[in-house]
Amino acid sequence: MSAPACTAPVAFAALVEYWLGELAGEAQDRLEEHVFGCVSCTARLGELAALGAGIRAAFRDGALHAVISPGALEMMRRAGLRLHEYPVAPGGSVQCTIAASDDFVVSRLAAPLGGIERLDLVSQAGEGPELRLEDIPFDPAAGEVLFCPPAALLKTLPAHTTRMRLVAHAQGEQRLLGEYAFNHTPG
Amino acid sequence: MPAVVQDADDATLARAIAAAGAQPDRAAEAELCRRFAPRVRLYGLRHLRDPHAAADLVQQVLMTTLERLRAGAVREPERIASFVLGMCRVVVLDWRRGALRREGLLAAYGDVEESVEPEESRALERPRLVRCLQALVERERSVLVLSFFAERPADETGRELGLSAANVRVIRHRAIAKLRECMEGGAA
Repeated sequence: MSAPACTAPVAFAALVEYWLGELAGEAQDRLEEHVFGCVSCTARLGELAALGAGIRAAFRDGALHAVISPGALEMMRRAGLRLHEYPVAPGGSVQCTIAASDDFVVSRLAAPLGGIERLDLVSQAGEGPELRLEDIPFDPAAGEVLFCPPAALLKTLPAHTTRMRLVAHAQGEQRLLGEYAFNHTPG
Repeated sequence: MPAVVQDADDATLARAIAAAGAQPDRAAEAELCRRFAPRVRLYGLRHLRDPHAAADLVQQVLMTTLERLRAGAVREPERIASFVLGMCRVVVLDWRRGALRREGLLAAYGDVEESVEPEESRALERPRLVRCLQALVERERSVLVLSFFAERPADETGRELGLSAANVRVIRHRAIAKLRECMEGGAA
């Protein structure tokens, strides 16, 4: 039987909100009633589920870097993931490593973030090229940026030093907030 | 699979199963399971957040649905989709209360298992997905990771990243649209 076209397709944004648990009560019930009777919307929800599973797996397997939030870090701790957290003050350095069995490294870059309009993170592994992550998200009140480098790549690197810089943008000017050195030893 | 079964709508299949009596209409049952397994599985993934539990839910709900249909206990076969959804809700609630009666049903309806293999084996092309995710701007990647990996709702993500919940939803929506376009063959 070919799938009949949906006469009232659910907006993809609503499917996302449903999938992430942001709908409740009658709104959730109505959406579920529709999806259960609609092959087309079931297929779209399935596409979203596959995309979400792919994102989760890619990050979980260390294929991506990302700035994360304190709540996400807490969730990772509670989930029993094998983490190395490296808090570093501006101008500081830390000895760090990652073993094959580890899941994540979290660089905790302390910095005064109040009054900043935009923040860039510049990273350079050894003598390699600089990688500039522009306009990273941050909480001005947090006092630190939590950055997860791609663990899968990190596990392949020899001993080296990765240097990171936080660069603030405010009132049309750039200002160095802090430099951080990570002295990496293979695990 | 007979073409007449494949062409039948859900209600016709449900009525055929209910009318079969002592000789189960295997073709109609298999087709009904094939159609509803993805819906039940998605419901399970959404509410149980565990692929194995979702697979168990598919088994339990479809077995119970067939059991009720065979027994003539579904009053409105034309509303079979609502019936199956209601069954999903009841089973998940039961599981949360710790009541499980799966073993007896498995003994009577174990053959259902063959027809409800998860269709999400259609995995996304991983290297392309990673390239597409890497091509996003930092805020978009962070919001997607926090949403789908850490399962943080928009208001909490916003609070922790100095954004409003509405802003998080906009960033998320834009990021997903970019990803879908990229996965369908756009820039990556």
